[in-house]
Amino acid sequence: MNAIAGTEPEDLNALDDDSFRLVVRRWIEANYPPELRNPPKRLHWEENNPWYFKLAEKGWLCPGWPREYGGLGLGPIKQIIFTEELERWGCARSNDHGIIMLGPLLIRYGSEEQKKYYLPKILSGEHVWCQGYSEPNSGSDLASLRTSAVLDGDEYVVNGQKIWTTLASDANWIFLLVRTDPTAKKQEGISFLLVDMNTPGITVRPIINLEMHDEFCEVFFDNVRVPKANLVGQLNKGWDMAKALLSFERIYLGSPRQSAYALTRLKQLAEKMGVFEDPSFATTYAKLRTDFEDLKALYGRYVEVLKRGQPLGADVSQLKIVQSELFQRITETMMAIAAENAGLMEPMEGNRNLNPAGLYIQARPTTIYGGTSEIQRNIIAKNVLGLPG
Amino acid sequence: MSSAAGIAPYSDDQAESARMIRDSAAGYATDVARARALRFTNPGFSKDTFREMGELGWIGLAVPEAAGGSGLGMVELVTLSEELGRGLAPEPVIPATLSALLLAEAGETELLGQLLAGEAVVLTAWQDRAATLKPCLDAAATRRFIPMAAGATHFLVPTEAGLTVVEAAGADLVTEPTNDGGNLGTLRPKTYQSVGQATLGPALDKAALATAAYLLGGMEAAFAMTLAYLNTRQQFGRIIGTFQALQHKAVDVKVQIALTRAAVEQAAAALDAGTTGDAASALVSRAKARASEASMIVGQMCVQLSGGIGYTDDYDVGLYLRKAMTLAPLFGGAALHRARFVQLSPETEDA
Repeated sequence: MNAIAGTEPEDLNALDDDSFRLVVRRWIEANYPPELRNPPKRLHWEENNPWYFKLAEKGWLCPGWPREYGGLGLGPIKQIIFTEELERWGCARSNDHGIIMLGPLLIRYGSEEQKKYYLPKILSGEHVWCQGYSEPNSGSDLASLRTSAVLDGDEYVVNGQKIWTTLASDANWIFLLVRTDPTAKKQEGISFLLVDMNTPGITVRPIINLEMHDEFCEVFFDNVRVPKANLVGQLNKGWDMAKALLSFERIYLGSPRQSAYALTRLKQLAEKMGVFEDPSFATTYAKLRTDFEDLKALYGRYVEVLKRGQPLGADVSQLKIVQSELFQRITETMMAIAAENAGLMEPMEGNRNLNPAGLYIQARPTTIYGGTSEIQRNIIAKNVLGLPG
Repeated sequence: MSSAAGIAPYSDDQAESARMIRDSAAGYATDVARARALRFTNPGFSKDTFREMGELGWIGLAVPEAAGGSGLGMVELVTLSEELGRGLAPEPVIPATLSALLLAEAGETELLGQLLAGEAVVLTAWQDRAATLKPCLDAAATRRFIPMAAGATHFLVPTEAGLTVVEAAGADLVTEPTNDGGNLGTLRPKTYQSVGQATLGPALDKAALATAAYLLGGMEAAFAMTLAYLNTRQQFGRIIGTFQALQHKAVDVKVQIALTRAAVEQAAAALDAGTTGDAASALVSRAKARASEASMIVGQMCVQLSGGIGYTDDYDVGLYLRKAMTLAPLFGGAALHRARFVQLSPETEDA
């Protein structure tokens, strides 16, 4: 089922974790395009697709997918190591919604025809996916979404609007949560639909964010006709399917990688600004460093849960809170010591490592996306502490 | 379950051993009324209970078997300390453990035997000033901040010449009451009797880590009470735990507890796996810094979330805050340990 011509990927699961890490590290270092290291902004498809194709050619594009579908079939720990190595080398995040979100969902819930049709096209880069979940009036309260899909003959007719659709302008396919039963309780009338972005009636409009980047888009649907066969899973069961895939996202968003990156940049900036002798900075820095190590220790305990093949509980939400809030505090400290440089649009002296304002702004949405810090606290309060709704 | 924080970095054997310690300490861990009754008494703890704890092998838990101890590790010691903290046990098991480790290293056997049996209360007078991690070795210096000194039978006084012992009877000792109902002693120098040589650093680290664990147990107990209160107290016709402002504060408490547990158990596991020197001290510093700071945050917040009742001495939540006020600075507070962490630990790998 491997759609990529050429070599069958070796069984990396046979390696122990340390050897696996080295194999991955060596290959990344030898093959990653040097000009794309540590990009200051999220790259567009035309910029990062050489790396996408390189991974695809190697058979390493979809480490978490089973081997029968063209993935590497890696266990959770090796997947984390794989991600850590990408982060370590400063590899750009690719247009990965097909790889991370849709692929696993199709493998679990899709029909045989859907798997046969869509998965190889993700592996080959022919289909670049984006995720249509949020709407202007359905952010934290996602289940209130109103984009509708009404059956008309053999087609659904889709009307409505999605927002915060990451890299929609690069994508040629979108997976949608749509309301198919307006009379049901809100989570129960939602379905999961695959839509070709070239269908008439779809308009994409980029939104400039605080980074002055057009990563997010609005996507409008005006009587868009979608074949009935593009429904994934059962009608009105889309919410449950989307939710089932969230626990891996929550540990991914709680990984210390962003804080690690920022802490290293803070150290470089502090050296540049000569503030290590300042006792007030020393106190703040010591606090950030110990907070970071404690985050790593807590993260390790959840990795251990995965290692033992146990399900992650709702308490994993606290990792995301700790990670994103620490990331923000590190970048706030960078702003404080950067003084006038904090106002600069571009990295200081053209050095990507000295980019306080850029990192500060990049840290802002981490407490918003993937469930805001407030939503994560609601989840823990109800599902972990047992506080009443 | 409020302690949910992934899985401890323990082997199956360590996890089982920790479970057994928890079971054996359960009686003390739940008897806060006992701890309450002992507050502001002289000497602030029960000598009978201290002896029972000796008989249970707790004072010598981490002391090598060859020296008469149980030969267990830090995983067991932090587990025991956590349970003692849960019940606010005032007996100076951790200061006594410090003394036992030092006596064992010095090769002293007689006083150590009495201490391990809980018959002698031997406390180490290692510091001459506030806010230090550096033991004072000046034989002429006044020693300060000796926890539960009013109940000591002997003091261990480290000097340049070696570890010395002074009997409490007849010693020039002044004690001051502390907020947890115990006391801190000031010992003025006299002629000491040397019993051998011992290095203080590693033993002080173990005492600091055990104290962090004691604070962790206290945080969990105070938070459990607070959660129960949030789930029953009604205002404005609703259970107050339904209010989001209170829920979010409760989650912040939970996160502090989770981070403390992660740091404490990581350090204990590493020390038992043979980590020594600067690497061990850095881990201990992180754990104690987190526990010292978190115990105050958690104590404060539990008082706040409990409202007026939280401000009464009758309500147990206040006991945990007053314990944190006393223990957070002992064996080094947050700022001191953070500074030591930065000094000792290597920078993170450049990304």
